[in-house]
Amino acid sequence: MKSFNAFIKAFHHAAWVSATVVAMPAFAQTQDVTIRFAAQVNGQPFECGKSYPDIGTTRSVMTPSDFRMYVSEVHLINRQGQAVKVELEQDKVWQLENIALLDFENAQGPCRNGTPAMNQTVRGRVPAGQYQGLRFTLGVPFARNHGDPTVAPAPLSSTAMFWNWQGGYKFLKFDAATSGQQSVMSPPAAHGGGSASGFSVHLGSTSCASASKTTAPTACQQPNRVVVDFPAFDVNKHVVVADIGPVLAKANVDINTPGTSPGCMSFLGDADCVAIMPALGLPYMDHQAGKQQFFSVK
Amino acid sequence: MSLLASLMWLASGLSVAAEDAAKTQLEGSKTYAWDLPEWAPRPTVPTSNPMSKEKVELGRHLFYDKRLSADGSMACASCHLQGSAFTDGRPVSPGVTGEKGGRSAMALVNVAYLPVLTWMNPLLDTLEVQALIPLFGEHPVEMGMAGREQDIFDMFQADARYPDLFERAFPKEASQGPEALYSLSTLTKALASFERALLSFDSPYDRYKYGNQYDAMSESAKRGEALFFGEKMECYHCHGGLNLTDNLKHERLPFPELGFHNTGLYNIDGKGAYPPKNPGIIEITGHAGDKGKFRTPGLRNIAVTAPYMHDGSIATLEQVIRSHYAHAGRAGGKGATNPMRSELLVGFELNEQEVMDLVAFLNALTDERFLNNPEFSNPW
Repeated sequence: MKSFNAFIKAFHHAAWVSATVVAMPAFAQTQDVTIRFAAQVNGQPFECGKSYPDIGTTRSVMTPSDFRMYVSEVHLINRQGQAVKVELEQDKVWQLENIALLDFENAQGPCRNGTPAMNQTVRGRVPAGQYQGLRFTLGVPFARNHGDPTVAPAPLSSTAMFWNWQGGYKFLKFDAATSGQQSVMSPPAAHGGGSASGFSVHLGSTSCASASKTTAPTACQQPNRVVVDFPAFDVNKHVVVADIGPVLAKANVDINTPGTSPGCMSFLGDADCVAIMPALGLPYMDHQAGKQQFFSVK
Repeated sequence: MSLLASLMWLASGLSVAAEDAAKTQLEGSKTYAWDLPEWAPRPTVPTSNPMSKEKVELGRHLFYDKRLSADGSMACASCHLQGSAFTDGRPVSPGVTGEKGGRSAMALVNVAYLPVLTWMNPLLDTLEVQALIPLFGEHPVEMGMAGREQDIFDMFQADARYPDLFERAFPKEASQGPEALYSLSTLTKALASFERALLSFDSPYDRYKYGNQYDAMSESAKRGEALFFGEKMECYHCHGGLNLTDNLKHERLPFPELGFHNTGLYNIDGKGAYPPKNPGIIEITGHAGDKGKFRTPGLRNIAVTAPYMHDGSIATLEQVIRSHYAHAGRAGGKGATNPMRSELLVGFELNEQEVMDLVAFLNALTDERFLNNPEFSNPW
């Protein structure tokens, strides 16, 4: 990356000598930017192997096993209040085009079905200048959301983060074991549900019209992407905190509503999502979007 | 060309060059012709054992050679038969002493894409090391060659075919003398190379999905596909992806993906325990939370790999659906749902048609070309 920029600078310089009037992209006038993220559970740092008390309406004890998310369309807000695109470093692992996979789990202990590598920053370049705010989207852009992870480049090659071609990717994947009601031995209700050994929050687009589960849709009725705006964000001082605690505060993580996905997986008709989706800043069925309580600035 | 256009052309040229550099670093597989459709990513291969046709051919001879067992009665192929996608149709299998193994012989189809091998060992990550277990293991005794490897090497040297096969496969070792050429290293590398060549991507489902042959699958199978990838049954949460397992590695993945889950098959003490012989990966890891966790198997060719589960304790696909997953685990169907089962297992109701459709979908994962491919058959 660095030598490429140096080469371009030299080329640019040589070109200026010979060219007359040219509208130049500001290749030589950009600055690196690193946006830091941190995962938490009710103010405590998220770590694989830890358990967290007082989760949700039953004050359950939760032991997470995964915490990953896609962010995209990252912009810094300049002094004129304009959103300026952050060109992400194409690192062939975590970042592709304007999409980044943040990975807070390290495959240790309960997170064994994850990956040892973690990624807690978004890295890129912006035109040189002064910036005061941050905007990003929780989610994968539609144009990239419904491809085939078998052929997609990283980080869209992760099958753990994928649902199917119709639904696209899990924008947020949070899984945890919960203290539940393990003493209950009865079989689950005929439709499923009842006491849960764990709870998941998987966010993704729903009601996507396509010919089959494994063909791409033309549109999704519930895109379920969350645009997050922080008007006062200094990349050098601040960190974006993603805290799952407030998202679960009004949910019962010990019981799964019968006949529905375990936890809240964004699908319609799931009582478990009524408390969770609005806390993510999304409308859900006839419940209005609340103010998003997942991301904050520290 | 305008300056901007020149810069963009240059940028695209440089990024292609970077991609080429990354490609040439792919271990060994650039000169080996993988028998794969264009859309399929290539497996990754250890740097110490790049693929070659010659290694695969030597490995094939070794795989079918009963002289690799203590009494000459068993080859790898005795428990890994091609017509069963390289498993053997038995719940568990006996070794040369008659002692039975604890867990079902793995189906080797597309094993090159698995980051971790066998049902219950998260540490076993290369085929080269795995091959030592059936050959030399003592708990249980399988092929029974513990301490007798020199007999194997002597047999190779004296055989009519092996010297030539070994020399072609391992020319560098050939120049270093017979002790280098006929060794555990070359033996396991050749076996691993043959196993990596066992590739299956030509099922009716592949032709429907990637080959744009809309009629390749029945309407029933298409309905089954919708159920499989749908929210009621959630099969795809663990059985998704290229090989319908969440265990995957290939050249386009920066990291391997792993999946170990407790499916609630057993609950013998009411608190989540599995039978002591097969307790789950807790046997290796020691973590209480790993009770009952086993590696998700792939589902390609699943119709021919009965019986099912890690101990072969479910005979048919229909029973897997009706008596196990529909109840959030078979133990749940017996009134004792395993409290440690994966939270993804919540059980479901389904009617006759849905069972038939789901089974039709699973049947559409059978690749007849793979099951009959002479390149994988007994060369002796």
